[in-house]
Amino acid sequence: MIVAKQKPIAEIKEMLRPYDKVLILGCGTCVKTCFAGGEDEVATLGAALRLAFSQDGKTIHTEELTVERQCEDAFIQEAAQAVSRNEAVLSLACGAGVQAMARRFAGASLLPGVNTTFIGVLEKPGLFTEECSGCGDCELDTFGGICPVTRCSKRLLNGPCGGSKNGKCEVSPDIDCAWQLIIDRLTLLGQAGNLKRYIPAKDWRLSLSGGPRRLVREDHVI
Amino acid sequence: MNSNSETKIYIFYCVNAFDQGVFSPPRTKVAYFPQDLKMACSSMIKDIYLLKAFECGADGVMVVGCPAGKCKRVDGNVRAAKRVARVQQLLDEIGLGGKRLVYSTADDMETAAADLVKQLGELGPRK
Repeated sequence: MIVAKQKPIAEIKEMLRPYDKVLILGCGTCVKTCFAGGEDEVATLGAALRLAFSQDGKTIHTEELTVERQCEDAFIQEAAQAVSRNEAVLSLACGAGVQAMARRFAGASLLPGVNTTFIGVLEKPGLFTEECSGCGDCELDTFGGICPVTRCSKRLLNGPCGGSKNGKCEVSPDIDCAWQLIIDRLTLLGQAGNLKRYIPAKDWRLSLSGGPRRLVREDHVI
Repeated sequence: MNSNSETKIYIFYCVNAFDQGVFSPPRTKVAYFPQDLKMACSSMIKDIYLLKAFECGADGVMVVGCPAGKCKRVDGNVRAAKRVARVQQLLDEIGLGGKRLVYSTADDMETAAADLVKQLGELGPRK
């Protein structure tokens, strides 16, 4: 899932200052799961903003709505009437959702309410960890299902750096050494031979270095 | 809030925290408690409920849970305390003051209420 974190109230307040009527629009998929932009967060943020503005003697009118996904036009359409009733939309979706909304509603002021942080998983209750960089060339089969591009602090592809201690990265004791995990898992799977394989320098043109990426499925293009 | 006698405190409490589920508000005379909101477990408290209480004009809010280690649902009181701590930070961000909100166990409710009333007096009237 895409993991996001709500922006500080002060930053959101500053964005909303020119407006009196605002739609707070949640997204019911990724950002809901990471407690940044689902129904509960929309309601909480609405109340928080009303209270925050009332501290300054200003009344702000908020409308609250959550759609299933803001990154898909079919779901975005549900918000059309609410968008038209308000002067601005504070979107709690990831950056893709905010931009999809801006594309769909060309005349609406779209404001981001969260910072999109990473592609990750819920490791345990309350802890989300980054697992994928979207590099465009997945080699998880070689690494036993653990991605060194994302989870090794140095992005090393050909073995550990030698700086880890007790399975923890030298960058921070909170970070597991990805290469320790890779070696342990490949050993468990009986695939330790993979460690002898030379991995050539990564082609970063498939990632952001190649500019904004596109994916075309001709069989779905009409 | 012009004087202590008008201090308005909303209380959310766990029904299991009191004998036979019978709740009576703290005995302090310098505040009144217009809303006592019963919950099946203090962990049912949500950020929005607490903020709504302030939107409804509360000067202060208390969440009362079971004593440590005595939650019928194992760790509901721990969850409630953590949620309250998060909303306290949010209230600080808002500018209302996190000290307007407290979590207390049932056995410590009287003291917590007295401390809250004192704290509200120091914070002054709400804008």
